[in-house]
Amino acid sequence: MQGKQINNGKIENALNRFLEVEKHLVLGFEKGADDIGHRIFKGNLDHFSLINTSFGINGALYLRRLFAKGTKIMLILRPCEIRAYIELVKLTQIECEDIIAVSVDCFGAVSSKEKTDDIPTEVAQIKDYFKEPEKMRWACRVCSERRGVVGDAGIRLDKNGFMWASPYTEKGETFLSLIEGEAGDAPAEMSINATVKTEKFRTDMEEFSKDFLKCIMCKNCRDMCPVCYCIDCVFNGDEYLPKGDAFLNKILRTGSAAMPQGKELFHLIRMFHVSQTCVGCGACEEACPQGIPLTKYFKGISERLQGMFAYMSGKSFDEEIPYLTFLEDELKDAED
Amino acid sequence: MSEDKTDKNQEIIGFACSFCTFKASEMAGSLRMKYPDGVRLVQVPCSSRVDPAFVIKSILEGADGAFVAGCHPGDCHFIKGNYFTRRKIAALKEMFDAFSMKDKLRLFWVSAAEARRFVEKVTGMYNEIKEKKNAGKTN
Repeated sequence: MQGKQINNGKIENALNRFLEVEKHLVLGFEKGADDIGHRIFKGNLDHFSLINTSFGINGALYLRRLFAKGTKIMLILRPCEIRAYIELVKLTQIECEDIIAVSVDCFGAVSSKEKTDDIPTEVAQIKDYFKEPEKMRWACRVCSERRGVVGDAGIRLDKNGFMWASPYTEKGETFLSLIEGEAGDAPAEMSINATVKTEKFRTDMEEFSKDFLKCIMCKNCRDMCPVCYCIDCVFNGDEYLPKGDAFLNKILRTGSAAMPQGKELFHLIRMFHVSQTCVGCGACEEACPQGIPLTKYFKGISERLQGMFAYMSGKSFDEEIPYLTFLEDELKDAED
Repeated sequence: MSEDKTDKNQEIIGFACSFCTFKASEMAGSLRMKYPDGVRLVQVPCSSRVDPAFVIKSILEGADGAFVAGCHPGDCHFIKGNYFTRRKIAALKEMFDAFSMKDKLRLFWVSAAEARRFVEKVTGMYNEIKEKKNAGKTN
């Protein structure tokens, strides 16, 4: 694969060169006084950080219904954020023409709720720090796509500790042309490789009810999910939940009803609605004030449902979302 | 009907396409064929109108089972509606499988002329769910 080696500061120089043009923006991470967060840069980079060791929000959330209007935007984000961006492009929520998406190899992250001071900021140290999976948040621990191989270009780390930038599309070539130096052959072996697939997720309603007992129906998980984008959600208000005698009837039929009502309904329906687009980033779990293991269910179910159609969310711009297309001759065993 | 109490408690919600399956159920009625009382049909303009949310809602609000029924693939009044249904409901079945309740959901293709097939399908589903429910009660 073609690529350019990036030494210290080279990526910052390249991005600063990109920002020289007015109406050019960079969405990336900014190193604050004691935390790292998303920031859109204009003019020049200030306290730019290539890697963020804590996960708070999936950056694709900010891009929903963003229409560039002559502005060129460069995204320098984690693979899960770029994958969510690609899904949103396919769902026509983002106009991708003026956006260059660059995914950066991810070493894993800790939850922003549990961030401590001893997490290093240098790439090599971060890599060592996250060698033990126990230190990461659960969603990153089970993530099989931490490689920066999605989007228009990728920034990857090789075994010797050098960073490489390689283009995947035409827009990626323009990104590469900003970087100084000659393009060479990037090594095939990178320090982060695809991990092996785990077995099929399986649970039952009892375990599900037990895990979601704590749910308070704040719907933060829905609001912070990058791919759960409907403006008119069926759960806005309580129109979709039984009221009055319908609710009484439900209690009489099923024996009992958990309060606040509708939490299982809400999560099951949301689980199905995002099943093909879920990237497994764990932003829902991050947003949950009750600490419900949402990623376990959402990632498990979405992997199973995407596996049915040999689809992986956010892998490429061209693959169509399975529910929006069909083959005439398939799924013979679905019918009873 | 002289059914015992456990039978009366069975409830199956069926989402039936108005061009095929609902017509088949009407034909079964005019031919005086009998199918269980507990099968409640909801007429939908096309089986692809059925958002899987409807199915999940009907199950969580106390139905013992649910089915989605439409025209045979290729016969859809809206040309390709039931191909989308097939993908959605197959995926929903996979999700129900993950929650160990796969037997609560079925997908049928019944054309307007197949009144007998409609009766067989819904009676079969009704009996299977009844058996499972009764077996669970005695244990």
